[in-house]
Amino acid sequence: MNAVLFFRRLPGWAVLALWTLVVLLPLYTLVVSCFKSTAQIYDNPLALPQQWTGDNFANAWNTLSLGQNLLNSLFVTVAAVIVTILVSAMAAYPLSRYGLKWGNWMLLLFLAGIMLPIRLASVELFSLMKSLNLIDSLFGLVWVYVAIRIPFAVFIFANFMRSLPHELEEAARIDGASEVRILFSIILPVVAPAVAIVAIFTSIAIWNDFFFPLIFIFSDNNKTVPLAIAGFVGQYRTDWGTIFAALGISLAPVLAMYLILARQIREGVGAAGGIK
Amino acid sequence: MATNPKKLHLAAIGFILPALIIYALFVLYPLIVSLWGSFFQWRGIRQMGFVGLSNFARLFVFPNGPKFTGAFWHNVAWFFGIMVFQNAVGLIFAWLLFWRKKFGVFLQSVFFFPAVLSPVIVGALWRLLLAPNGLVEWLLNNAGLHQGRLTVLSDGDWALWVLMAIDAWNWMGLPVLIFAAGFRQISQEVFEAARIDGASTTRTLFSIALPLLIPSISSVTILTFINSFNQFDIVYVMEGVQGSPNFATDTLVTFFYRLAFGSVGSTGITDTGLALALGTVLFLVVTIGSVLMLRAFDRATVQP
Repeated sequence: MNAVLFFRRLPGWAVLALWTLVVLLPLYTLVVSCFKSTAQIYDNPLALPQQWTGDNFANAWNTLSLGQNLLNSLFVTVAAVIVTILVSAMAAYPLSRYGLKWGNWMLLLFLAGIMLPIRLASVELFSLMKSLNLIDSLFGLVWVYVAIRIPFAVFIFANFMRSLPHELEEAARIDGASEVRILFSIILPVVAPAVAIVAIFTSIAIWNDFFFPLIFIFSDNNKTVPLAIAGFVGQYRTDWGTIFAALGISLAPVLAMYLILARQIREGVGAAGGIK
Repeated sequence: MATNPKKLHLAAIGFILPALIIYALFVLYPLIVSLWGSFFQWRGIRQMGFVGLSNFARLFVFPNGPKFTGAFWHNVAWFFGIMVFQNAVGLIFAWLLFWRKKFGVFLQSVFFFPAVLSPVIVGALWRLLLAPNGLVEWLLNNAGLHQGRLTVLSDGDWALWVLMAIDAWNWMGLPVLIFAAGFRQISQEVFEAARIDGASTTRTLFSIALPLLIPSISSVTILTFINSFNQFDIVYVMEGVQGSPNFATDTLVTFFYRLAFGSVGSTGITDTGLALALGTVLFLVVTIGSVLMLRAFDRATVQP
């Protein structure tokens, strides 16, 4: 790179560096504050901890039963993602490849769900869940999340499946393979990138959701991480060290996931056209 | 086709049914019943007689009227605030990153990281950073830009804008990634031609890249519109379900939540009829708004 180009690009670099700082400084503060007492945080939020103690973590872990909350979030997320992928891939396969007369209408009905503000139906959803005995139940959350995430998953799967050549299943049909077999052993492996996109974005959305646990979950035993954190922040507002540690614990699994999957997430957002 | 069409038809129905049943039961059914229920009187969660538009009428008069219009304008402000502070700024970031091939990709990942965090975590973190004695106060005091206590979160003139800024911090990576993907789809020859014609980078952005970027701008705008009118998490965690201070950060969904489920700690009086009417209005605003925008952007799209 020559010197002229370098100086022309300097303002641009400065802007990018500034936003990088805006993103990283709060996260840095979060990490160092996990190891400091509240007094030390007040004194100088940016200073490194004098000694790296785990007291705050122990406090947060014990008062908050974060272990249980993490398990709950994990269960709900994994179960809902598996069911979503299964039923959505099944629905997208005939809708994108059978050339059905009513296929486009059905697809449209599913896709409408991407835009529908489902939170507004929560009063009636609550009555429904009550009559199904799914209130204060992790299984109840799983069903709601599967239903909410089906539109996005069907959209992604149908888009990927539509572009595959028809020879793919035709040969298998001649050999007498069943439709179920064609979907799971031939089509689904070819659209593995779509499975990855759906799995990643569905897990992020469910893991982070706050609204539905707030409405449907009451007992401490069944709380997911965001619900537990929201309650905790309100209650213990003066004990900053412990709050920071609780935030740090709940952020850690997401950070680990991001370090592994950053590239897939970046490419997935581009491929999905920004539909969450 | 090797298999007969009738058999294939049956297979199709079998494949679609599980997804359709779950989706219809937990999304379509509650939504339709909610819209229908907004025309009825409610006692608790028991549906009484048909009352026509009276729930809607109550939404616009005292004591609900001021809350409703206040929350509505907060959502509108949220939309425009995010369009400027997140999406326009994100467009500039994406443009700068687009020309910095190698490092650009790494920074995209850094910028996107807050977007994988729960708004609850983001809100809780910023609540501490913006509180008296927090990081922001400390930085401003040390830089000599501010004296004494920082109270933006309990200041009615500031609170809503601060919350929008936190939302923008949370989601900045999304427009950056979408616009960056959009720039990559524009053929390299177009930029090459502009360079040979001697167009400046700013000119290239506004006259050449932006018109070709309309599909990306469309999805970012509609996404922002839907999200702005669904704001809840950040407000709940940072200002409580009453939209403190004095309803300055109240949004339509926090208002809806109070009407539908009562507010924690207070009297907890709910008004289901009013909640459903509010839900119907919000439903109409979001759907009609999104469809209109989609059509406008479709018409504006440049065919390459």
